[in-house]
Amino acid sequence: MAHDCVIVGAGPAGMAAALTLADHGVRPLVLDRAARPGGQIYRAASASPLPDRSVLGADYAAGAELITAYTASGADHRAEADVWHVGADGKILFSTDGGTCQAEAREILLCPGALERPMPIPGWTLPGVMTAGAAQVMLKSDAVVAEGAVFAGSGPLLYLIVAQYLRLGVKVAALVDTTPRDNYLRAAPLLAGALRVPSMLTKGLSLLHEIRQAGIPVFRWASDLQVLGQDRARGLRFVTPKGAQEIAADTVFLHHGVTPNPNMTRALGVQHDWNPDQLCWHVRRDPFGQSTLAHVSVAGDGGAIVGAEGAQCEGRLAALNMLCRLGRIDRATRDHLARADLTRLKRLAGVRRFIDRLYRPQAALRVPQCPDTLVCRCEERSLGDLRAGFDAGARDPNALKSLTRCGMGPCQGRQCGPIVSQLLADWRDEPVSEVGYYRLRSPQRLLSLQELSRFNRVHPAPEEAQ
Amino acid sequence: MFRSLRTDAPARVRVLVNGHPVEVPAGQSVWSALALSGQITTRKAALSAQDRSAYCAMGVCFECLVDIDGLPNQQACLRRVTEGMQITMQTITEDTKAEL
Repeated sequence: MAHDCVIVGAGPAGMAAALTLADHGVRPLVLDRAARPGGQIYRAASASPLPDRSVLGADYAAGAELITAYTASGADHRAEADVWHVGADGKILFSTDGGTCQAEAREILLCPGALERPMPIPGWTLPGVMTAGAAQVMLKSDAVVAEGAVFAGSGPLLYLIVAQYLRLGVKVAALVDTTPRDNYLRAAPLLAGALRVPSMLTKGLSLLHEIRQAGIPVFRWASDLQVLGQDRARGLRFVTPKGAQEIAADTVFLHHGVTPNPNMTRALGVQHDWNPDQLCWHVRRDPFGQSTLAHVSVAGDGGAIVGAEGAQCEGRLAALNMLCRLGRIDRATRDHLARADLTRLKRLAGVRRFIDRLYRPQAALRVPQCPDTLVCRCEERSLGDLRAGFDAGARDPNALKSLTRCGMGPCQGRQCGPIVSQLLADWRDEPVSEVGYYRLRSPQRLLSLQELSRFNRVHPAPEEAQ
Repeated sequence: MFRSLRTDAPARVRVLVNGHPVEVPAGQSVWSALALSGQITTRKAALSAQDRSAYCAMGVCFECLVDIDGLPNQQACLRRVTEGMQITMQTITEDTKAEL
């Protein structure tokens, strides 16, 4: 028995979609990998282990309200349900509680969210090197922090976690800002568009002000980053206009932007397009988030980077379109109810363009510069290994993967994929859109034969089946 | 150096990290238990056998694969601690032979 709608991912997009569906009498099955709804941005917002969660900011508190509404919506929420296959036939397979489950859907909404853009600098595989997102996860879920860490890179998420650490009285060794000086000039023409949502800009500016007021060392215009240490991270070396610098630290948090988590949509085989402004692949969609497979929609950062508020708008729009496709509302109603979110998304896009331009990562930090720096962390393939593969005739990501094993490890290219496409584009002197990406397949996680053998089907509740 | 900011007194569970008993708040991630115990190496790299540790902490990098209660390839950032859990650094490399 098929569900009317299955939503994968209970972050802002998935939760907002579920609420809209519930408003029109559709009870979705929601499969979420985390223990609690919220996604990465609102992780544990409803049950924070922190003594005072207000230090995380007003947006995080607002997330708690969304979670409360979502929890009361009647959605069939399955926590710790790790989806590893979504089929064009509407069948979805996921792992939960040591077993395997299958659900079937007439409409599928994928909200896989974002992951952080890899920063393949020398030493980035050493223990003690993590992402700024990792710092956020540890703080929100478990109230665990790293004392005396260096934060390096660029972008709002980096400044946010530094500010949060400082508010909590956690010592920060330094903020090493890699935002190139030219970005400020290039972003200036887009400022007017960003000013249409002034609250977003003031939020960003106040974060930077807060960090400056705290008096921690801030290094700007940094480049040539290298993690120090042999068997684990001991610090960070980098170059600023004032010369080479070294900061000692046990923990180095890296960040220079986020990209859609591509594995689910790639494995499903929907079309993607390279976006040169966000330097990542977007899922090809109509204004309601419908992909090139009509019964599959994608909302939130998993389709293109839109941020938490944009994700909620997209979630509601996708829900309206699915309701229309399910015959619950007519097209005129869909279009009428969609107006506010479509308008809001347009405004938010202005801010996004500004942020993308201002925090566009350095080209030299997106691909390794030293031959022995690892590209593929799982299979330990270095820049030199890949170049040898290219010289041996592997011109596209899949050929390079077959020849070198780059991308064949457990992360299934989530870390090396963007690097490999960019390297090949550079070497071929062609745009990334021509180079393409890895061909991915299910399952999207490691599975044991034991959990495959414990097989169940998830059906809609009887009252819906009628 | 990782530390916990918790000021409440959460229920605690006892786990074994590489054979050493460690007490941690119930419900937190296996990775957090490793971080707080100071034993941050999760696995050996597949070829070089160099130490590796959690990188993303959100389930996408697969660096934090550990052995939990005898079952290898468990993502420490996604699993939560339970009483008596045995968490061990994963040492599977390309030279490792399967035990049949």
